[in-house]
Amino acid sequence: MLTPHPGLPEFDYIKPATLAEASQFLAQHAGEARAFVGGTDTFVRMRDGFWKDKYLVDVKHLDGMNTIAFDPLGGLTIGAAVNLNRVIVSPDVQNRYPVLAEACHTVASYPLRTRATIVGNICNASPAGDTIGACLVLKGSLRVHGVNGLRVEPLSTFFLGPGKTKLQRGDVVTAVHFPIPPKGYTARYLKLGRNTIGDLAIVGVTALGYRDDDTPSGYRFRLALASVAPIPLAPTRAEMILSDKPITEGTIAEAAEAAMEACTPIDDVRGSARYRKLMVRNLMRKVVTEVWKVISRQS
Amino acid sequence: MSYHKITITINGVTDRVDVPSHMTLLQMLREKLALTGTKNGCAAGECGACTVLWNGEPVNSCMVLAVECDGAQIITVEGLAHDHQLDPIQEAIIAAGGVQCGFCIPGMLISARALLDRNPDPSDYEIRDALVGNLCRCTGYLRLIEAVKEAARRGEAEAAPA
Amino acid sequence: MAKIKERKNGKNGREEKVPELIGQSVPRVDAHEKVTGAAIFTDDLQFGPRLLHARILRSPHPHALIKRIDVSKASALSGVKAVVTGEDTPGYIGLYLQDRHIFCRGRARYVGDPVAGVAAVDEETAERALALIEVEYEPLPPVFDPEYGASPKAPLIHPDLGEYKVANFIFPKPETNVSNHFKIRKGDVETAWPRCAAIVERQYRIPHVQHAPIEPHVAVARWDESDRITLWASSQSPFAARNLIAKALGLSQSKIEVIAPYLGGGFGSKAGVSMEALAVVIAKAVKGRPVKLRLTREEEFYTTFVRQGLAAHFKMGCDKDGKLLAMENRYYWDAGAYTEYGVNMTRAGGYSGTGPYDVPNAKVDSLCIYTNHPVGGPMRGFGMPELHAGLEQCIDDLAHAVGMDPVEFRKLNCVREGDIIATGMTMHPIGLSECIEKAAQAIGWGHKAPPSAPASRKRRGKGIAIMWKAPAMPPNAGSSARVSLNEDGTVTVALGGQEIGQGSFTVMAQMAAAALGVPYDWVRIARPLDTQYSPYEWQTVASRLTWSMGNAVVAAARDARQQILDLVAEAWGEDPDDLDIVNGNVVSYKTEESRSLKDIVIYGLPKPNDQGWRGGPVLGRGSFMPTYVTGLDPETGQGPRAVVHYTTGAQAVEVEVDLDTGKVDILRGVSVYDVGRAINPEMVKAQMEGGLVQGISTALFERLKLKEGVVQNPSFVDYRIATSSDAPQHIEAIIVEVPQDDGPWGARGIGEHPMVPTIPAIANALYDAVGIRLDSPPFTAEKVYLAMVDAGIVK
Repeated sequence: MLTPHPGLPEFDYIKPATLAEASQFLAQHAGEARAFVGGTDTFVRMRDGFWKDKYLVDVKHLDGMNTIAFDPLGGLTIGAAVNLNRVIVSPDVQNRYPVLAEACHTVASYPLRTRATIVGNICNASPAGDTIGACLVLKGSLRVHGVNGLRVEPLSTFFLGPGKTKLQRGDVVTAVHFPIPPKGYTARYLKLGRNTIGDLAIVGVTALGYRDDDTPSGYRFRLALASVAPIPLAPTRAEMILSDKPITEGTIAEAAEAAMEACTPIDDVRGSARYRKLMVRNLMRKVVTEVWKVISRQS
Repeated sequence: MSYHKITITINGVTDRVDVPSHMTLLQMLREKLALTGTKNGCAAGECGACTVLWNGEPVNSCMVLAVECDGAQIITVEGLAHDHQLDPIQEAIIAAGGVQCGFCIPGMLISARALLDRNPDPSDYEIRDALVGNLCRCTGYLRLIEAVKEAARRGEAEAAPA
Repeated sequence: MAKIKERKNGKNGREEKVPELIGQSVPRVDAHEKVTGAAIFTDDLQFGPRLLHARILRSPHPHALIKRIDVSKASALSGVKAVVTGEDTPGYIGLYLQDRHIFCRGRARYVGDPVAGVAAVDEETAERALALIEVEYEPLPPVFDPEYGASPKAPLIHPDLGEYKVANFIFPKPETNVSNHFKIRKGDVETAWPRCAAIVERQYRIPHVQHAPIEPHVAVARWDESDRITLWASSQSPFAARNLIAKALGLSQSKIEVIAPYLGGGFGSKAGVSMEALAVVIAKAVKGRPVKLRLTREEEFYTTFVRQGLAAHFKMGCDKDGKLLAMENRYYWDAGAYTEYGVNMTRAGGYSGTGPYDVPNAKVDSLCIYTNHPVGGPMRGFGMPELHAGLEQCIDDLAHAVGMDPVEFRKLNCVREGDIIATGMTMHPIGLSECIEKAAQAIGWGHKAPPSAPASRKRRGKGIAIMWKAPAMPPNAGSSARVSLNEDGTVTVALGGQEIGQGSFTVMAQMAAAALGVPYDWVRIARPLDTQYSPYEWQTVASRLTWSMGNAVVAAARDARQQILDLVAEAWGEDPDDLDIVNGNVVSYKTEESRSLKDIVIYGLPKPNDQGWRGGPVLGRGSFMPTYVTGLDPETGQGPRAVVHYTTGAQAVEVEVDLDTGKVDILRGVSVYDVGRAINPEMVKAQMEGGLVQGISTALFERLKLKEGVVQNPSFVDYRIATSSDAPQHIEAIIVEVPQDDGPWGARGIGEHPMVPTIPAIANALYDAVGIRLDSPPFTAEKVYLAMVDAGIVK
């Protein structure tokens, strides 16, 4: 039974001066120290008594955490401390990666988005994270600073289970990086919550599509599902259907069915497995149709 | 318990405050500084009653540590009026009949003020989107939305060249 | 000199014309302080460094004996000043039925039942101390279903039910879990069924919901060294809190002072007494130091009051022309662990259990049943939303069964002036028919608009529902008020009814100003309410203040007015009946003499030639208590006058259903209510809008998900309420005015009523849109979608 504290439990606030210091502190105090940026997940879980860390390590002022940088050859790098509102209004995001802005905008509310971050959403590894699908279809990867220095973690292999990721003790994620997306692509995120705006995702589907002469259908899709499996799910059979056959209303329906079959949602307080599966099918059909309408118009 | 000395500017007044690590900005405002205009409705970032401006951006102050606000500019509901003159959004909410119990109002005003600052002519949808994190149980929202439209209209009229 | 345009008062000081202020949408008296953050709510009060903080240890079991409590480790924690348990609270407490102890004694009856309380230097220390309290429980078999609870097989939750003190209009059944059984036996339903051309028999389950006021409960108590208790609380009912706590502690009411600042929403959750008593008991253990107890939002959801659940069985029939012949309704209320307040909701559900209809034969059984669920208490509508939810859907079904339009069916059968209603009372003049017509017209009844989206993925529908509700209270619930004036002529109105957001302070100021003859902005309401200084008010519930407290305030203002007129008349050598107070000046219609109220209301008037003075400080008093409510026969529910009056109304909605997700959007709502007289029309409309949206919220989103007695969703994360994005695009609020004979200028209440018919209006619209009915709200997208799949409407 949920019996949260009235406020936050006691802990010590640590503000390391460098990434090296941060990694070292976190490694040394593994199990009783946690890095945080926006705090929206961290504070809730500490209040609920799930997380009992003695130290909260603020990393949002460290190198590279606060910049959004776009390189026409390399792609987009968003610092781990950049809040969702900043992502939404960034011209580079809006012009080149608009699905990121779209996904960010569905999160909670404006004041919460002042604190929430994409990297936080990812590291929290909630199966329901709204931005994760967009990051997956954009083939995002994380820049991680650990006790052994810098490394890159591709998102496609980053999630291990609900709340479980490849992060090790001492790791601090400094940024998320997206390569240049396929030419002429379109991507959309569709989310189903309980309220009209602002809820968690009961089901979230992301679809990215682009022309690809190497496939039988002439197109390729990257799909991602949130909230319907232990980890964010890329329904590969659905993607293959959209590559292998000419794309019609029927193909899209078939792909949507395949996506539905691929997911393994649970019954929980927010929704039943039965409903979630049917919504995966319906939303997938909708989102793929919308993307298809745009990319098929291009000559 | 570890303490931190922070320098913080609230409604234009700069103070040095000694805060424990785990004290939220909301707790500091209400319990250390007796600025009780900002309200505690859930302590979980869900209801918006605690919304304040942090360096110009609205934020749930129950989801911010006081120690994170070292060097920050905070505006609370007490700082919206200037020289005893109500902000247009405050006047508009009264005129629209949008005040009932008043508990959601401070947070609602902050969110609305911030919206008009970044978008002086918001659509109905944009207003609903901006206020979606401020729960109200009394009014049914329509008069609050109308108040924001009215404040926007007034802002436009005032900004229009003579 | 005041221009006397028109004589306003008749002989004997009675006003013949309705004053201009009555019916004027003046701005609220409290708006300015609320928009500047200056308005003080209970948690805003400052108590200095001696303030202690309390936290409560609560039972994790829905039903259990408490074998042993060891508080020694908690008491020893540094910073803890006191730990209390049920050892310290032997008395029973309750409004209509005294069935609970302030802290559990020997038995816990719901998950959340208070077992111990800690006072410490700060909240976090108190919270840590809770984990150090050792409690040994022996779980008992629980009851989670009201029909099971009412059956002989169910374990007894209150074995001592037969010994509890109880109000004389509540009838508990000892040796059962039934703490009240209200019956209506009117006519003979058995002879009516064979004559029916159509009969509808349905069951509906209405889940528990919670008020979710944005301000959680908070109370600060101080028990000083001379055994005087001060309680500051976010309370709708300071006098009821004082009375109930005094009785439970065996004290005189004069020993307790309850101070109630502005409330951040109540909706009934802050009526009676719940957590406030805990603070008082803890304060006794730390005499002299104030103790603050605040509920977390999570606790708010299940540890004070919730709206009880209902299992409703309906059977109703009509003849071939659609005239209702009989209703047989059985209500099993899942009333929770303690029904000290809930018993009266089930009584109200009983006597109003036919809905607002003229039914010649009616059989209603309304049972209040203990369960090991959170405590059912008053929530906006007091039983009416729960029973109308199913009843109004049955009415639609019955109309369809005889091929009649649902609006026409209601117009034919709705209760009218002169009808003998279910209890045998004769209905007073009401405007329900007018409300139905206006609602139907405003929603465009009979015309279906095309859906908003192209192709066919959305469906639209319209639905209507009507309602009635009477203030449910003891027959002798009273109001009182005082009007005094200041040297500058401004007026102070002292009263005991709370400003919970509904605007009571504003309308009282309006009515006092109108009755006295001063401008509206000369009037102040004495606040915060303080039982030591404020005049008595039973409670701020039941939508009764405008009518009841209004009468008291008007009487007090008129009393003050008469004192002033008598004084000035004597000074002027005139007949008081020829004088009036207009705009703050005493005027004579005869001589056109005029003088300001300033000073004379305190200092009186000098006699000529320095021969002394006459008059003195003006103090008007007024009191109102209905005298005509009668008892009802315990077997038949019949009696000459069951209630003071009914407010009636209608709601219509237009919905749009998404065939791909099941989501229901409320496009438009229409709220039409007969309020007798709208003292402040914009504020009346604000109630109609707010109630409709709260109704929409319960219809589409809200349910306390109870599993084995544990609320699974006690937070805003998973107990969703309507946000700005869920409010309809348009709400039309229409006021109908058929005056109430004993209301101030004909006014009756409106606060609760706009929430009552919303669930069935939406359900009926849903049926119109896609042809499905759900037996239980909320009509979540999931429920609607899966119902459409199961019905073959979508694949």
